[in-house]
Amino acid sequence: MPEIKVTPLGAGQDVGRSCILVSIGGKNIMLDCGMHMGFNDDRRFPDFSYITQNGRLTEFLDCVIISHFHLDHCGALPFMSEMVGYDGPIYMTHPTKAICPILLEDFRKITVDKKGETNFFTSQMIKDCMKKVVPLNLHQTVQGDYNMTPDRHLGAAWIDKCRPDMLISESTYATTIRDSKRCRERDFLKKVHESIERGGKVLIPVFALGRAQELCILLETFWERMNLKAPIYFSTGLTEKANHYYKLFITWTNQKIRKTFVQRNMFEFKHIKPFDRSYADNPGPMVVFATPGMLHAGQSLQIFKKWAGNEKNMVIMPGYCVQGTIGHKILNGQRKLEMEGRATLDVKLQVEYMSFSAHADAKGIMQLIRMAEPRNMLLVHGEAAKMEFLKGKIEQEFSIDCYMPANGETTTVTTNPSVPVDISLNLLKREMALGGPLPDPKKPRAMHGTLIMKENLVSSEQALKELGLNEHQLRFTCRVQLQDPHSDNDTLHRIYTHLKSVLKGYTIQHLPDGTVMVESIVIKVSSSAEDANTKVLLLSWSYQVKKTKHFSLSLLH
Amino acid sequence: MDEPECDDVLDDWFIESLKTYKDLYVYQLECPTKVIEWTSGRTVCVAGYGSSKNEILELRLPPKLFANENKGLCAERDFKVVHGGFTDGPVHCLKHVPGTRCVVSNDGRSSELQVWELGGEDSDVIRRTGSVAGRSVVSEGGSRIAARLSSQPQVLHGARSGDVQLTELTSGQPLYKLETDSADPLSSLQFVTDAVFLACCCNGNVYIADTRTAAAPQLSPPPVSSGESVLWWTDASSGSSCLDPTSCRIVRLSSSGQAVISDLRNQREAASQAQLDVQSHHCNLDDVTVSWAPALDGCIAVSGFSGAVQIYNTSVWRTELQEAQPLFQHRGHTVSSQPDDGVFVTSHVWHPERPRTLLSAASDGSVHVWDWVDQSAGS
Repeated sequence: MPEIKVTPLGAGQDVGRSCILVSIGGKNIMLDCGMHMGFNDDRRFPDFSYITQNGRLTEFLDCVIISHFHLDHCGALPFMSEMVGYDGPIYMTHPTKAICPILLEDFRKITVDKKGETNFFTSQMIKDCMKKVVPLNLHQTVQGDYNMTPDRHLGAAWIDKCRPDMLISESTYATTIRDSKRCRERDFLKKVHESIERGGKVLIPVFALGRAQELCILLETFWERMNLKAPIYFSTGLTEKANHYYKLFITWTNQKIRKTFVQRNMFEFKHIKPFDRSYADNPGPMVVFATPGMLHAGQSLQIFKKWAGNEKNMVIMPGYCVQGTIGHKILNGQRKLEMEGRATLDVKLQVEYMSFSAHADAKGIMQLIRMAEPRNMLLVHGEAAKMEFLKGKIEQEFSIDCYMPANGETTTVTTNPSVPVDISLNLLKREMALGGPLPDPKKPRAMHGTLIMKENLVSSEQALKELGLNEHQLRFTCRVQLQDPHSDNDTLHRIYTHLKSVLKGYTIQHLPDGTVMVESIVIKVSSSAEDANTKVLLLSWSYQVKKTKHFSLSLLH
Repeated sequence: MDEPECDDVLDDWFIESLKTYKDLYVYQLECPTKVIEWTSGRTVCVAGYGSSKNEILELRLPPKLFANENKGLCAERDFKVVHGGFTDGPVHCLKHVPGTRCVVSNDGRSSELQVWELGGEDSDVIRRTGSVAGRSVVSEGGSRIAARLSSQPQVLHGARSGDVQLTELTSGQPLYKLETDSADPLSSLQFVTDAVFLACCCNGNVYIADTRTAAAPQLSPPPVSSGESVLWWTDASSGSSCLDPTSCRIVRLSSSGQAVISDLRNQREAASQAQLDVQSHHCNLDDVTVSWAPALDGCIAVSGFSGAVQIYNTSVWRTELQEAQPLFQHRGHTVSSQPDDGVFVTSHVWHPERPRTLLSAASDGSVHVWDWVDQSAGS
């Protein structure tokens, strides 16, 4: 029985450094290659020694598939491909391919420049790694970190009833029941509104991509509703590049956005204007979206330095910040920061951490399983003690096995693959032309053909033609002796009538050339040279015919 | 999939909510619950009431709700399912046994109680550990339950005034039986002190009994009401705020919306009353709940008549029956559902310490956690 083997190398009963090895159909596939953001040493990378103790991974892996561009799913990719060594194909969707190198470079810069790390991949390694990438369309690969509710700019996750043998899902958030999106948005708007009302300035450091657009749409709608006048600014630079990418990939976004984009370019806003750094000193309330998202460099850090000393102001951090960044420090409550040249910065402004992260909750995971109908379930990215209830829930509701392997532990499931075969039209037409009853599940009808493992089931002639072979016909003959005083013709005729009366449902013909044909078996009668009363029956049939021959031979005797 | 009108209503209410709520959290359970029961200061138990298999969940409230000084730095707004289990039938009543990790439930069809162990750190599964037999086998509408506020795990249970019993949980031994001649269906059972309890009947009778004595219980008949064959629900302000049973206040609410406040010591006189604007949208009133606020003097919450939870300030009520307007209405459940669905609130609870924080659940599976702003006060 063919088997599927799954081994998590990272994120088995653990969060971060997603990396799952799958052996299926004789191929070895690596799903994701993530970084664990909580560690500074080798624990941040998946354990590749499971694949091979030394040497490159190329000969052990057939391909790598990256589900999406979050660092805990792709952060270790350049390390794997350039420092450990892998030259095979790396598959990901077009948008992921576009966005991945940007995030990897950003991450590399912080880790090397800010934290002074040496054993890390270089910019050139990122470039070399991306050269190995083969981009794909969405239905060839499924997006990771899914969410069953639609984001303002992306659609909700959706999957065909593909009935896979194995469905692998993260379970970190399976024990979570998420607060509604609208309440998170409400909280965001409430905070922004309160600051603006008291004359404060709001800084929102954003990653170039993703949330920035969503929050802009939200603020734009709110400003319109409430008739607010305070300016909203959006910094240029990386964000423009991101907008450019979004415009390219508009088909990947959800229906609503697509519709508005056609009417009016949704990524160009009415209330939101491009930022100029001189505006930071303008008096009065304002909201500014600036990159980068973790306050580690650039424009957002500059603005932060200017605004940090005023308690009327606010900074809203919309996501995770890597250790070593200012974002990370202020989210940990630090109120005094050491800047360049030993200067200290007093953080008096309000710091707000808003999480808009895109992970599915318990309901979402159950919905996904309901849609896809897998035969087996495998959970990763969660602690064993906290997954027992979910495992029980899945096993009960869907009557399937649910596995939760730890890192390095292999789960094996047996499968019963069906091989779909297409039949060529010519072959079908020929069979139909032969007449007779139509095929019926209770009365199957045998047909002959040749299966080419390239595409489909074709007629033998076509197969021979395609393969460039000559057809050989095999015919068998046998002689049967009979004692019969009649003439050759009479004997033949008697045989004919006899066969006709007993072999009903078969085509029996008496041909003018002096032969009787039972289907394709040829019967000829000739007299023996020695004795006119001894008749010799010559039976001849081709290779395919077996049953009928036995039948008629026994009848003749 | 676009429903612009529904979105607009949501938008309006949400925009208003920026001013009317300090905190607002909206969740969707897979199946609706009729029960919300505190199992600690930060966790509640909920359970489904579908006809066959259901889930019983212990949920931890979002950390952000409790973060005080550093609220801004806490991003966590989600419920965490800390423990979960499966039941064989619906859960109509569920009570936590104080001082233990044990809850007791009833399916609303029989008099038997199911006993559950919620589990600790090492496992996230809630397991059934036993059952408690009812005093009488037959019971329509199921048993009400009250857990005793003492060190030994004991539960008071019964479906009618004639079959109320106090049972010790571990042994299953009955420790006390309420002796009355009547068999009135109960709307609730409630301990007001360690030993004194109320058996509140749907017809408005309230029996006041003491588990330490064999004496007959005191009977307090329903208040005079305008309507005929009304149903009554009762709540007593009890627990830590009521060390002296005689200083307890009782609120009784009728299905026609009449609310009467009285003193436990002096049942005959209504201390105050009011005609509430309950806006009943449906006649199936199985889940009406009226409750005193544990930390907001004189306030009660009313739910079950519609998709709203109403807060009333009873301290301004008078002895003559007059109409009262709610101090606050939580309309979140109605607003986020389709107008034709007839969503109604199935349960609500006050937070034991935070004065204006409540949890409410509705028939569409929604659960809300909300901290409302008293706009009448200068807060």
